[in-house]
Amino acid sequence: MYKNKRSGLVGIIITIVVLVLIVIFSNREANTTFIENIANKLVMPVQNGLIYLKNKMSGNSTFFTDINNLKTENKELKEENSKLEQSLRELENIKTENETLKEYLNLTEKYGEYKTMPAYIINKDISNYSKTIIINVGKNDGIEENMTVIADEGLVGYVISVTDTTSKIRTIIDTSSSISCLMSTNKDSIVCKGTLNNNMELKAMYISTDANLVQGDSIDTSGLGGIYPKGIHVGTIKKIVATQNITDRYAIIETAVDFNKLNTVLVIKNN
Amino acid sequence: MLRKVLINVILIIIWFIIYFLQSNFFNWFSIAGIKPNLFVIYILFIGLFGNRMMWIIYASIFGIFLDLLFEQTIGPNLFGLILVGIIATFSDKNFSKDSRITIMFMVLISTVVFEISSYFIRYILYSINVEIIAFLRILSLEVIYNILITIIIYPLIQRFGFYIENEYKGNKILTRYF
Repeated sequence: MYKNKRSGLVGIIITIVVLVLIVIFSNREANTTFIENIANKLVMPVQNGLIYLKNKMSGNSTFFTDINNLKTENKELKEENSKLEQSLRELENIKTENETLKEYLNLTEKYGEYKTMPAYIINKDISNYSKTIIINVGKNDGIEENMTVIADEGLVGYVISVTDTTSKIRTIIDTSSSISCLMSTNKDSIVCKGTLNNNMELKAMYISTDANLVQGDSIDTSGLGGIYPKGIHVGTIKKIVATQNITDRYAIIETAVDFNKLNTVLVIKNN
Repeated sequence: MLRKVLINVILIIIWFIIYFLQSNFFNWFSIAGIKPNLFVIYILFIGLFGNRMMWIIYASIFGIFLDLLFEQTIGPNLFGLILVGIIATFSDKNFSKDSRITIMFMVLISTVVFEISSYFIRYILYSINVEIIAFLRILSLEVIYNILITIIIYPLIQRFGFYIENEYKGNKILTRYF
């Protein structure tokens, strides 16, 4: 593929650098200033080096004489540091466990009317075009197809297939998903469908011509369709898109659940 | 015989590595949220360097495996990977595997064909909403990502590929000498 080894290696290194830069800049937060960041990264190491030299030059005369003391002190500090690191790791484990348990508790209290089963997400879809997830409960835990899956903030999706220990969930943001919903203020019904565009948006379609759409209005499931129970929060109206023909108008719904950060869910066992 | 067993064991291990990279690492190492598709590169590579039976078996087994894991029915991944295998066989007969441009072109065509066929099958099976602009945006980023990865790993692929080719094709290798 490459005519000589050296140019090939240079080509590969350049490609790796380009790829890393693309990944970093395509995913970076919008509020950090690009030029500021680059300038900082260019100047700061040199600046730190200069400050270090300046401090060394300006009269720290005991630096060389106390080297033995410093070595002992360094050893002790290292030991102390490793002990502290270990306790920190233990604390972090406890914290994570605590957060998960709190999440479960919140979920169970919020949806107390339903018989539910908590679960972890163990895998997410490998494709860019479908958005299914896999959870760690299955037939052995009483999970069946078409059961509704929710999270603390609202609706997640429904079970499409189960194995003994896992279940496959089609999320509401998948392009093959469509949910019958109601707008909370005027109780008009709409159909919300998943889109490819975003992991936190649905497209609300089939809006009746006399329906009054309000930005920020809450959207809940209507209970029609036989899968989702009535009254589960789906999201809020983010944007209303008017078209020339009023029957074609649609709205963008922001999902209540952040699917990028979703880790724990509840499966409703008595729809 | 032992060499062939070793080659297949390595290929299966590579597949699992790809699977875990795809479902974990590339979830955050993505270009604007878009992941590459290493399975396409994997089957293309087997089709280019292995024999016909080899890519048919690998594309079928791993296509079914991915469909069982992530789809409701068998089809989108299986069909897409078989198409990639066919493209690889065609490319092996007609193009040089030493040219950077042809390899990039093969990856481009394979990724496009795989994703369009999978999308089309999903449309038929699940009646998904067709969003052409969003689909093209994701596809173009995915193609760029796949090409960049191929440029980086192709020297490795090529070395292992020629080893497979010598073992499976022996004196039937043609394109390398044109």
